[in-house]
Amino acid sequence: MKLLYDLSEEQLNKLNLIQDETIWYCVPIDLSYDYDEKKIIDEYPDGNQYLVVTDKNIVVLDKDGVQSKTLLEKCSEIKCESLVGCGIIMAVVEGEKTCLARFSMRHIERVAYVARGANMLVQGEYEKIESKEYEKYCEKCGRALPGTSKCSKCEGKNVLLTKFLALCDGYQWKLLLISLFMVVSSAISIMLPKVQGSFIDNTLVDKKGDMGDVVIFVATMLALTAVLISVNVVKNWWCVSLGSRLSMDLRRKLYHKIQILSMSFLNRRKPGELMNRVTGDTNRIRQFMEEVFGGMLSALFTMIGAFAYMMYLNVTMTLCSTVLIVLVFVLTRIFWSYIHRIFRMQARRDDKLRSGLQDVVSGMRVVKYFGREQYEVDKFKKLTDRFCEIQKKNETFWALFYPILTFIMGFGSYVAIYFGGLDVLQGEMTVGELTQFVAYTGFLYGPLGWMTHLPRSIMHMITSLNRIYDVLDEEPDIKDTDECNAIDIKGDVEFKNVTFGYNSYEPVLENINLSVKAGEMIGLVGASGTGKSTMINLIMRLYDADRGEITIDGVNIKNITQESLHSQLGVVLQETFLFSGTILNNLRFAKPDATMEEIIKAAKAANAHDFICKTPDGYNTYVGERGFNLSGGERQRIAIARAILNDPKLLIMDEATSALDTESEYLIQQALDRLTTGRTTFAIAHRLSTLRNADRLVVIDGHNIAEVGTHNELLEKKGIYYGLVTAQLEMAKMEE
Amino acid sequence: MRHGHGPKGGEIDLEEFDEEKMKAESEDLLELRYLTKDNAVFKRTKGGFVSLEYAGQVYDRVYVYRTFPVTLPEEYISIREATEKAREIGMVEKLSELPKDQADMLREQLNLRYFTPEIIKVRDIKHEYGYGYFNVVTTYGACRFTIRMGGDSVVSLSDKRVMITDLDGNRFEIPDINKLTANERKKLDLFI
Repeated sequence: MKLLYDLSEEQLNKLNLIQDETIWYCVPIDLSYDYDEKKIIDEYPDGNQYLVVTDKNIVVLDKDGVQSKTLLEKCSEIKCESLVGCGIIMAVVEGEKTCLARFSMRHIERVAYVARGANMLVQGEYEKIESKEYEKYCEKCGRALPGTSKCSKCEGKNVLLTKFLALCDGYQWKLLLISLFMVVSSAISIMLPKVQGSFIDNTLVDKKGDMGDVVIFVATMLALTAVLISVNVVKNWWCVSLGSRLSMDLRRKLYHKIQILSMSFLNRRKPGELMNRVTGDTNRIRQFMEEVFGGMLSALFTMIGAFAYMMYLNVTMTLCSTVLIVLVFVLTRIFWSYIHRIFRMQARRDDKLRSGLQDVVSGMRVVKYFGREQYEVDKFKKLTDRFCEIQKKNETFWALFYPILTFIMGFGSYVAIYFGGLDVLQGEMTVGELTQFVAYTGFLYGPLGWMTHLPRSIMHMITSLNRIYDVLDEEPDIKDTDECNAIDIKGDVEFKNVTFGYNSYEPVLENINLSVKAGEMIGLVGASGTGKSTMINLIMRLYDADRGEITIDGVNIKNITQESLHSQLGVVLQETFLFSGTILNNLRFAKPDATMEEIIKAAKAANAHDFICKTPDGYNTYVGERGFNLSGGERQRIAIARAILNDPKLLIMDEATSALDTESEYLIQQALDRLTTGRTTFAIAHRLSTLRNADRLVVIDGHNIAEVGTHNELLEKKGIYYGLVTAQLEMAKMEE
Repeated sequence: MRHGHGPKGGEIDLEEFDEEKMKAESEDLLELRYLTKDNAVFKRTKGGFVSLEYAGQVYDRVYVYRTFPVTLPEEYISIREATEKAREIGMVEKLSELPKDQADMLREQLNLRYFTPEIIKVRDIKHEYGYGYFNVVTTYGACRFTIRMGGDSVVSLSDKRVMITDLDGNRFEIPDINKLTANERKKLDLFI
């Protein structure tokens, strides 16, 4: 997302920068505000206003010049407040909370980034923030971008054509053959009327021919048709196979890329959306290859061929009968867009009907409790009536106008027959030529109907391609560089001035300093949403810190190869995810070459061996989706065994024992105790009893480390930790 | 922490945990307090906000929220602390019962917070590849915006009232759809 818009020369002059004052951020804002009186104005501003942040000032600039200017050094805080349908910039200027600007939701994300950037300048941190989000609208044409970085309409086409060709790399021969077959198939299609024509002229009209000629004609026609069909079958078959190949290639590339990309990219997208790109968008490419590419080019060849032949036969007649093409094209387009529109409306009503129905059926009990049956019946009747009404209208329209459309589509032929008929009567044209001619007119007008869909299909394809390449072209944020080395981790971990936020305008952790010795167990405590899991994510290097560094044994984790880091990390999370497969496979996920003995030992240490043995298939028990049903505690123990198997030097536990019954909690606690001895451990737990073995507890509050110390030290301090413990004790007491 | 988990848990003196205070706090949330012209004084601040003096306390800025933004825009106005938690200080039952100048101050804050232009004229609506492009005239002037087709972009609040939410989250209202011309309504038909 762009945070530094260009200002025109004129506006720059009006900004009146003093010497060595530089513009850091410049974004448009779109609501009027009386900057002197601090009052809102009920009117959109005339032309663009800009919010400009320099290293000295925060300025609102419009076409008339500077509207307000606030010295940054007078501000102690600047932030963006999100209101309802709009937002404001709030700054504390010389102790007074002041509204600096107002804007609609269109620019709020941008302004939020800038406010954060300005606030950093106020704090004396001269570091530019950037936004990795995509723009929502195309800058050139203003169209909405469907989650892509480029506009399919403006820049997409040329770039994507090269990309599409690159995609076909390796299949050129196939493409060439397909094109060749298309030409052959068109040529035969054009030949057929010609054969008919000469048969009529030479055999039928003059009655010169005999039985033999008829047989020869029928045989020729049969042969040609057979060839035509075979050519088309082979061509279509190739198109289909090429389409599947291409989409498979793309799918594989996409999947690979998604695996490499860092969490920060994946986090910006919903899993469903990514899955859609892997399956839906690649599928659309296949469809395009099959339906449009195969059909379109063929039809185009045939149209051109037919037109050329018609011109050869009779120029004036050709022009007369094709002049209507434009009219028919326009008419069909209108017809289709109208049909599209009314059926879309029908679909909307249908949606409403369905969701209304679903609402009531799933809420049946509530309806009955409150005795509102009649009310719901009436409501539903209204919905069905409306749906029925529109459906009736639409179907009538379709039934009435589709035949009319077909009639219009045949219009060219009528014109051709009229003029051709006159010519035949005057002896300027033979009957055979006329039939031939009429057939060609059909070739010209026939495909018009679906040709109107063509721009749409192409656009869909381009959008899909765009969405696919957005992922493929993305560079992972976290990459192994040349300076990366594999190290043997001992377990000293240090956070030095670490600041991090998932969005750069919203820090989750600020200036974290923490030094952990090898073998120490650290309990991370704090209310939800304070950044405990974020700290863990940083240690696992799912994200890189925005500022500061994290070192392991004195080495910055950015200089440790990811493979070496992750192979020495053990992770037990709250929700244990087991892949579809056997318990054995799931255990081996951590260490593919583990021996059976190692696996059993690990399972025993995790208190898992026992229950695994009791299942009918032992270690070969199939788990995962639709597999053997394991309880939460059992899954957790498998996860612990998985972590032990790896013999990690660093251990991470995120709510590993929450949501378990007391007995399995005890078993797991035991397993965890075994697991944590001698390893550097970071553990998050809501239930503070889980952390009773921790060497030190770190309380995180308000983006910072609030308290550090042992359980007893923190209790004596009577701070946040004390509050948490007493609250939990109180809850426990109430449960009893 | 449950009982029996090591000796450390037992060391806490439970009596110190101030149950009374917590109870009082939650009781406090329960109470419906009205700010009236007799017990509260609103003042406009230099920064464009509103301050409040109430029950011996001075708030240098308060948030002003509507509780029924659609049906009762001038009643049951919730006055809240200008902090992250935005705790409620009290409610103004009817703006009209406050002194005129103070009511206007609050109205101004409401207008600052709620930005929902009303559509008075529909010039043109185009739709292309799953998006609808609106060109309308609102109470704030001419405006163009884009919505996603399908889904909840257009919601009927009542038989005549329609709320449109665009791609960015801006909200536009049509207070009475019957007041639009037949032609304008036809343009909108596809979405409603």
